[in-house]
Amino acid sequence: MKIAKIIIIGFGNVGRAFARTIALKKKFVESRYGVSLSVVGVADSKGMALKSDGFSEYELLKLCEVPRSGVNLFSPYAYNYVDLKYMYDMVQPDIHVELTPANYVTGEPGLTNIMFALTRGAHVVTANKAPIVLKYKELLEIAKKRSLQLRFRSTVMGGTPLIDTIMSLRSEEIEKIEGILNATTNFILTEMHDKLIDFEEALKKAQIMGLAEADPSLDIDGIDAAAKLVILSHVIGCSISLDEVKRESLSKIKLRDVVEAIKEGFVIKYLAYFDVRRRETYVRIVKIPKTDVFAQVNGSLNAVRIKTDVGEILFVGKGGGGLETAHSVLDDVIAIAIGSEGGMR
Amino acid sequence: MRPIVVVSASKGITDLLLDVAKGRKEVLKEIENRYTSIAREIGSFKLVKRIEEELDKLRRVAEGVGIADSVLTDYILSYGEKISKIIMVQALELNDIRAFELNATDIIVTNNTHGDAVIDYPATAIALEKVYSVIKNHSYVPVIEGFIGRSFEGEVTTIGRGGSDYTATTIASLLKIDKVYLVSDVDGIMTTDPDLVPTARLVKHMSYVEALEASMYGAKGINPKAFDPLVKIYSSNLLIGSWRNIGTMISREISRDFIGPKVIMLKDAGDYAYIAIVGEGVSSAKFVRDLLDTVVKLGIDIKGIQAHVHRPSIVLFVDKSRGREILKILHKVIFEGDQP
Ligand SMILES: NC(=O)c1ccc[n+]([C@@H]2O[C@H](COP(=O)([O-])OP(=O)(O)OC[C@H]3O[C@@H](n4cnc5c(N)ncnc54)[C@H](OP(=O)(O)O)[C@@H]3O)[C@@H](O)[C@H]2O)c1
Repeated sequence: MKIAKIIIIGFGNVGRAFARTIALKKKFVESRYGVSLSVVGVADSKGMALKSDGFSEYELLKLCEVPRSGVNLFSPYAYNYVDLKYMYDMVQPDIHVELTPANYVTGEPGLTNIMFALTRGAHVVTANKAPIVLKYKELLEIAKKRSLQLRFRSTVMGGTPLIDTIMSLRSEEIEKIEGILNATTNFILTEMHDKLIDFEEALKKAQIMGLAEADPSLDIDGIDAAAKLVILSHVIGCSISLDEVKRESLSKIKLRDVVEAIKEGFVIKYLAYFDVRRRETYVRIVKIPKTDVFAQVNGSLNAVRIKTDVGEILFVGKGGGGLETAHSVLDDVIAIAIGSEGGMR
Repeated sequence: MRPIVVVSASKGITDLLLDVAKGRKEVLKEIENRYTSIAREIGSFKLVKRIEEELDKLRRVAEGVGIADSVLTDYILSYGEKISKIIMVQALELNDIRAFELNATDIIVTNNTHGDAVIDYPATAIALEKVYSVIKNHSYVPVIEGFIGRSFEGEVTTIGRGGSDYTATTIASLLKIDKVYLVSDVDGIMTTDPDLVPTARLVKHMSYVEALEASMYGAKGINPKAFDPLVKIYSSNLLIGSWRNIGTMISREISRDFIGPKVIMLKDAGDYAYIAIVGEGVSSAKFVRDLLDTVVKLGIDIKGIQAHVHRPSIVLFVDKSRGREILKILHKVIFEGDQP
């Protein structure tokens, strides 16, 4: 059986959900696709664990039980430092899975890690959006030169095959993309409408339920949604930069606004918008009629409407969540492992 | 195959967590002390750190909310079982048993009735199937939280007091496992409350209907919902007891030899008290006649009587002040072989 050697860089929510998913679905993937997924290395910010013939399913499950920043406790495979070069020399991975936090200023640590992976000849799957947002062209170029794949399907609407579908629209011209692209802010708005609570209270609830990113301003100030628009713009071959997306923060929304909108028969949503032809793009608070499809998309659901020169396509689905994102990452990994082409534009 | 372990919160913790959800943050300290002392006793650095991490999260939640709504209450309650699970896995590992954590929120799918949710068997079966394929050929022991689940909306739910039994019977019936051990600090189901009648003894065998009937009359022990999957999907045997002794077995049917009274209970009901005798056959004409003969012979004053042929129970209404005394006498006659 073909073996795909995988390393996981970043071992937080998504990293652990991914490791657990591999452990539980290894047999299934083997029988269905004839490839054996072998995790040979894992790293968080404080340490790494390496095993060149691959961690067993049981070891993967046990890895998920180490405390945060505790990969270095996973004896006898653990190291008290992270050194990618050493890791690559030791375990020779085929696929690099990047699950570190997003930093939209520097792109680090994801950017350097992905560059390194590509120069060392590993395919890359990332859920970290920042490197794709900031340096898509450069990364893609290196990947192409070396016939490597760079996949990032989980970065936008993790729970649905949005990016794959857009990539497959080869003959259509995409004119407009708009949607609810951030689960946290949509959850907050839904709570405000349903329970008539303040923004702060709804935000707190989102944080408690583990929906919000560690730094909530990424969600609330629209940076996460804007980053997703940028990624979609790359995918359709009409790249915009993060600065070009005008953003309005959701934090200024008041319960009063919501109540007023409800009275008038409207619903308030936080929409991301990209008009490709006019290169007009924003993330902002809008009042939409109750009958609008986006008005029915509630809680942590996301939705995207794509207008092409032929017609409209609507996607509704889970935006993120550790488990859903982990599955999207796994889909990318499997696609690479069975050797299907990337299909980048 | 190795067993699957379902854990509850440690004793009293769920009540403390409920207090936290109601806004009494000061009890957090007590929860922390209890768990930290268990962690220290077991003495693993990893365990201490994990528990601190969970307690930190709990503290953040508790401090973030004033009075929790039903969704957040379930979320807060889930920490009791979650921490128990982490401790149990570590304890097993220290005894050279390879164990690992399973998340109830990944496996037990429920409706969204927070506080008293109902498990969705088909959805749960799918999630279980995956886990099963990993464990069935290995000697790893999965440990999962009882009492908690996840709704289709993705929120943490709880399935009612004593819900761990319900989790266990659901898993057993979906995987067609024949035995479910419900282990607590009592040796099994007793013929009556031993605090009221010191001569109470263990009930060896009971049928589902008898156990259900007893729980409906308020017998401590088993959550009635626990029987649902056993009746609908697969009839595992329930073995009830403690680490010392598993005293009671509950199965779908009992042999003819075991037909008859199993449990007698005293409860207050308004102005009267009632004494319920539970067991297949106790509502039969013969049993009722014999019971009434006894009552008459002993000069017991009863205020009313209730029995239906299709229910395995008979209820006597008595004066409140005489309830305990009558319970003792009837227990002697029915279970200790005394001749009236
Ligand atoms: N959560 C979701 O639903 C979701 C959905 C789509 C995309 N994403 C993206 O996926 C990524 C991971 O998300 P997450 O929720 O798993 O975040 P997380 O829980 O914060 O985990 C991030 C992990 O990266 C590690 N890390 C940080 N710096 C590192 C470095 N220099 N080298 C190696 N590891 C490093 C952290 O280490 P420590 O453990 O030591 O801190 C942690 O293990 C993020 O970019 C996020 O935006 C998340």
